[in-house]
Amino acid sequence: MNRREFLECAALLIGGVSASQMGITLTVEQQRHMAAAPNYIDRKMSYFNAAQRATLAMLTETVIPRTESPGAIDAGVPRFVELMVFEWLNEQERSLFVDGFAALMAQVQRDHQQPFEALSEKTRVNILEDLESAASDSSWYSFGEIPVYVSDAPFICQLKELTIWGFFTSEVGGTQVLRYEAMPMKFDGHQKLHDDDSSWVSVLI
Amino acid sequence: MSATTQYDFDAIVVGSGITGGWAAKELTEKGLKVLVLERGRELRHGADYTGEHAPDWKLPFQGKPPRELYAEEYPVQSTSYAFGEATRHFFVNDKQNPYQTEKPFNWIRTDVVGGRSLVWGRQTYRWSEQDFAANQRDGHGIPWPIGYDDIAPWYSYVEKFIGVSGEKLGLAELPDSEFLPPMGMHKIEETIRGRLKRKAPDVNLTIGRTAVLTQNHNGRAACHYCGPCHRGCSTGSYFSSQSATLPAATATGNMTLRPNSVVEKLVLDSETGKVSEVRVIDSQTGERLRFRSRLVFLCASTVGSTQLLLNSASEAFPNGLANRSGALGRYLMDHVHGVASMGIFLDDMDSYWYGNRPNGTYIPRFRNLPGQEDQSDFVRGYGIQGNVVRMNWKVNYHRKGFGASLKDSLRKPGPWVWAMAVFAECLPDKRNHLYLHPNKRDRFGIPQVVFDAQWRENEYKLWEDAVGQSDRIMRAAGAVLNLKQHQIDSPVGGAVHEMGTARMGNDPAEAVLNAHNQAHDVPNLFVTDGACMTSASCVNPSLTYMALTARACDYAVKQMQAGVL
Repeated sequence: MNRREFLECAALLIGGVSASQMGITLTVEQQRHMAAAPNYIDRKMSYFNAAQRATLAMLTETVIPRTESPGAIDAGVPRFVELMVFEWLNEQERSLFVDGFAALMAQVQRDHQQPFEALSEKTRVNILEDLESAASDSSWYSFGEIPVYVSDAPFICQLKELTIWGFFTSEVGGTQVLRYEAMPMKFDGHQKLHDDDSSWVSVLI
Repeated sequence: MSATTQYDFDAIVVGSGITGGWAAKELTEKGLKVLVLERGRELRHGADYTGEHAPDWKLPFQGKPPRELYAEEYPVQSTSYAFGEATRHFFVNDKQNPYQTEKPFNWIRTDVVGGRSLVWGRQTYRWSEQDFAANQRDGHGIPWPIGYDDIAPWYSYVEKFIGVSGEKLGLAELPDSEFLPPMGMHKIEETIRGRLKRKAPDVNLTIGRTAVLTQNHNGRAACHYCGPCHRGCSTGSYFSSQSATLPAATATGNMTLRPNSVVEKLVLDSETGKVSEVRVIDSQTGERLRFRSRLVFLCASTVGSTQLLLNSASEAFPNGLANRSGALGRYLMDHVHGVASMGIFLDDMDSYWYGNRPNGTYIPRFRNLPGQEDQSDFVRGYGIQGNVVRMNWKVNYHRKGFGASLKDSLRKPGPWVWAMAVFAECLPDKRNHLYLHPNKRDRFGIPQVVFDAQWRENEYKLWEDAVGQSDRIMRAAGAVLNLKQHQIDSPVGGAVHEMGTARMGNDPAEAVLNAHNQAHDVPNLFVTDGACMTSASCVNPSLTYMALTARACDYAVKQMQAGVL
């Protein structure tokens, strides 16, 4: 851990006046803390090839595009999806994703003679909307208890789930699209919410 | 004071959690040399809270749970709200620590110094006189050997040390504590409170009473409102044995804390009738050790302490140490717990919050209060812990759409949701029990616990009433939609308020412990964790365990000084 990282971590851990007044001391093992670890998406990995990565990036960006605020690519979502497909999904779910992804790439090439990422935004959205309407029977869309993951969800639902989750739990999505404050130092239940204000990063309390 | 020629220590405390920490503090501060035995690993306050302050993007899988690992190795622990990748190192591995069930039972356990005080919900409520009188009044279980007046000074004593924030209400059914300033309410909670005052005046809504500091207190810092206390708090802003009692005991110089110490058995000296030896297995080396002391305090958790007593059977006590009554292992209780109602509100949509308040609201028991007992077909009552939150992307993303409009709608807060979590009192029933499996043993060779407990008629009636009443309250509060949960979805153990199995009572033929948590049959043996409970009340029990522990320590040391022990 370099000096900058150490200071960041120290600030995060004891941030605020009253904490430091208490003389909280930091240990030399700060790097064991998850808060001081690299972001999850910075893990080394290599699963998809360059063509797949180019298409996947544009798929996630079509779900959550850059607007006046950062989009999926800015937030590293393509890396998140690749990591999750190969390190979190089970074998059956992974097949659904990988096969669905391959089918989409082939279909687009057949229909448009170019890869997904070369198409206009309107065409890209149309392609995903067609996939979504073909998948509308999936229990992924059903209202009710929120599952950890719908194992038999088709590719398009998996893509949306991993993209949305990966985006709003990313550092860019959490701090630049949602709002995040590690050390609020107070609770105020009477904050004004303006029309365009985003949610806080959700914290399980 | 101590003549330790024949003893290694004046006292041995088994367990370092919420009661073990108190026993350690009280006994060492009174000058006793104390050995604290903790079966879990060493854990350093602050330094080892490795999940503290880690945002989603630092967590493995950005917060999605590793499903196979949990299913394989943590199927029970992962049912706890506090369990996750940022806290997993506090909990036991279920696969390595098996137990058996005749009926479903969730046994949530930690595996570190500090025990479950690290991950407790921190809600802190006094029992009322009605609670202590309940068994006597309706005939379930046996009468408590103490009343509210016996414990009230000890509540104050404990509260002043741990720091409890809350609001004074002056209610007999929920006596006030020694309070630090209360946490603030959300605007919507104040809106709801105003409506309830008019439309449901029998119901009080107050801010949760919690062992989280709203100002600096006894050398611990005020809360910084990061949110998830259960990851550990390096500023010691919520009470745990790690943040408060164990440091106090350490400061006396009289405590020896030994982690990795699985207590296998207590040995009874048949001549003196006292526990003469505590037998320990070192979980890391397998080494077997023996320690001798004048006093033994069991603070190993409800199930842990009773398991140890059952495993300490001898010729004098063939059915478990100190079990002349036959009550050991029986009258197991928990609270019936679950979200009974979840209401949607469209009020105060322009109101939001700053800071993550580690606390909710509380509706004290309002059923079967004195004078109302004839109005229902059940006995006892329930309290309701509420929390409000605005719906956000996490509960709303399984839907159609792509692009800027999807992104924009997901990033903004949705309507308010008020979840009402009921905690209902469970009756002491002899049939609800735990026992040792005749053959199955754990990795230390200790017989596994078998649970045989279930909700019964009165608990089902309480739940049904709670669902109906929570619906009435939701309507009075102005919910536009209320989702009711008619089924009890939590098994016994699910509230992590397991109580009983070594109950207190004046009659040695019916109770394991006397009015001072001292075993009727074994004078130097005290049990001060949840095992001692004679009934369950409907409020969270930890404060009462702590007060009983401090009270028992006071008694035990006075007995020692008087030469009786």
